[in-house]
Amino acid sequence: MDLLLQALLNGILIGGILICLTIGFQLTFGVLHVIDFAVGGWVMLGGYAAYWASQLLGLDPFISIFLVFALFVAVGCAVGPLIYHVRTSRYARPDLMALAFTFGLFIMMRGGALWLWSFDSRSVDSWLSGHSLSLGPVTVPLLRLSAFAMALLLAVGLFVLLYRSRFGLAVRAVAQNRDHAGLMGVDVKRISAYVYGLYTGITASAGVLLATIYSVNPEVGVRYTLFAFFVAVLAGLGSVGGVLVAGLLLGLVESLVGTYVGTRYSLLVVFATLYLVLLVSPKGILQRGI
Amino acid sequence: MSTELSVTDLVTGYGKQEIVHGVSMAAREGEITCVFGPNGSGKSTVVKAIAGLLPVWRGRLQLGERELTGLPVHEVVRHGIVMMPQGGGVFPRFTVMENLRMGGYSLRDTAWVAQRIEALIDEYPSLQRRRHVAAGSLSGGEQMMVAFARALVPDPTFVLLDEPSAGLSPALVSETMARVEGLRERGVGVVMIEQNIREALPVADRLYILAGGQRKFAGTPADIHDDRHLMTLYMGGAA
Repeated sequence: MDLLLQALLNGILIGGILICLTIGFQLTFGVLHVIDFAVGGWVMLGGYAAYWASQLLGLDPFISIFLVFALFVAVGCAVGPLIYHVRTSRYARPDLMALAFTFGLFIMMRGGALWLWSFDSRSVDSWLSGHSLSLGPVTVPLLRLSAFAMALLLAVGLFVLLYRSRFGLAVRAVAQNRDHAGLMGVDVKRISAYVYGLYTGITASAGVLLATIYSVNPEVGVRYTLFAFFVAVLAGLGSVGGVLVAGLLLGLVESLVGTYVGTRYSLLVVFATLYLVLLVSPKGILQRGI
Repeated sequence: MSTELSVTDLVTGYGKQEIVHGVSMAAREGEITCVFGPNGSGKSTVVKAIAGLLPVWRGRLQLGERELTGLPVHEVVRHGIVMMPQGGGVFPRFTVMENLRMGGYSLRDTAWVAQRIEALIDEYPSLQRRRHVAAGSLSGGEQMMVAFARALVPDPTFVLLDEPSAGLSPALVSETMARVEGLRERGVGVVMIEQNIREALPVADRLYILAGGQRKFAGTPADIHDDRHLMTLYMGGAA
């Protein structure tokens, strides 16, 4: 029983970070109609940014995460117009071209990281590392709890922005119909760039948290791209609300399988779950967009 | 002095395909200007170019003295020209209120927009009751109400209507034409693309007929002698 409680708690804590990892990816799909292969790349770069901030500036990742967020929002706003350009090109199959573009971006990130920083795994230390809280039968590592809180803060912040601001209204309008939003006076190109910036900012911040909990090396991107795909497809592509449910579910499944069956089966079970859910509900859990 | 929306020798199309081959027309504030033509005549292409949805290849677009040629779609609204796409173009996942707020998106003064929305929604009791209902769950007629109210939010000089009667039941078509006349009563200039000539002709002040991407007729409904004359024009024959 205690073991189950512990496993459930771990699952929820990781699930929160998976939400943060996928929510921007999902928003980008909803607004730009681009499946961004580079999602794991942004996670990886965010992790490295936290590592170097800690090494060079001596910043705790829970401080540097704000800088990383700002930095990657800026980077994303610069890359966003390129992706928008590819996606809205008049040539044949811009959807596939955009997929190829982000795949290329991902390969470049991975190659660049290997070349610059080698294959070594780097861990990012926080003053929270090693501390934990005892709550009755379960132990809560402070690091994971804080990471969960930070991830939730980012996700809630995004929701507030989307549903309580003029900018959010424009973003949701573009997600529904790009042309009609343009007719209302929305600068679709600029909004798309900002959305891509928000996405890279949030995703890199998730990378900071993941690097602090585990570690970071140039190869981690692939794994996180897979996770983001899993959560996004399970939630229903483009559905930002569904991410909340799907992220928690993935966290719980992974944790329960890791505890009771064995870590090496976790990906197997994770994708079997995806298969089963899609069999029952082909459009994902919450069958609607933002 | 009423403002004129003028199109001069417009050439445009989709991708590399030229659809409109040098069309000129003018519409005045407080008048209903109808553009008729069979499928593929380029009538929708002309309004899409005015709204900025399609690039102008050659020719000019002007609102009074102001140059509109080459403006991106989101800038055109700021000059007081609102386009209502076919089917009304309401955002189905937005509530009625959110749709109306989008109508005022191009304006900075949000307090003014809020007041304006309240004034407009008062004219539609059935929308008043459904302010917070998703527009996609409303009936076709109610969605058209939202579309018309939304088009009026920024207090436009011109409203461009792309086949407002398309896909509507006969009863709704006459209701929609009444709304179009309502726009004129407010002093708004209307440019209406229509296939449904029988319903649209009685409300028109000016008339253009396009065929094959060229202007075949320009005049007023009084210039049309009878149905046979109209059909000849419509099919691209000589006036």
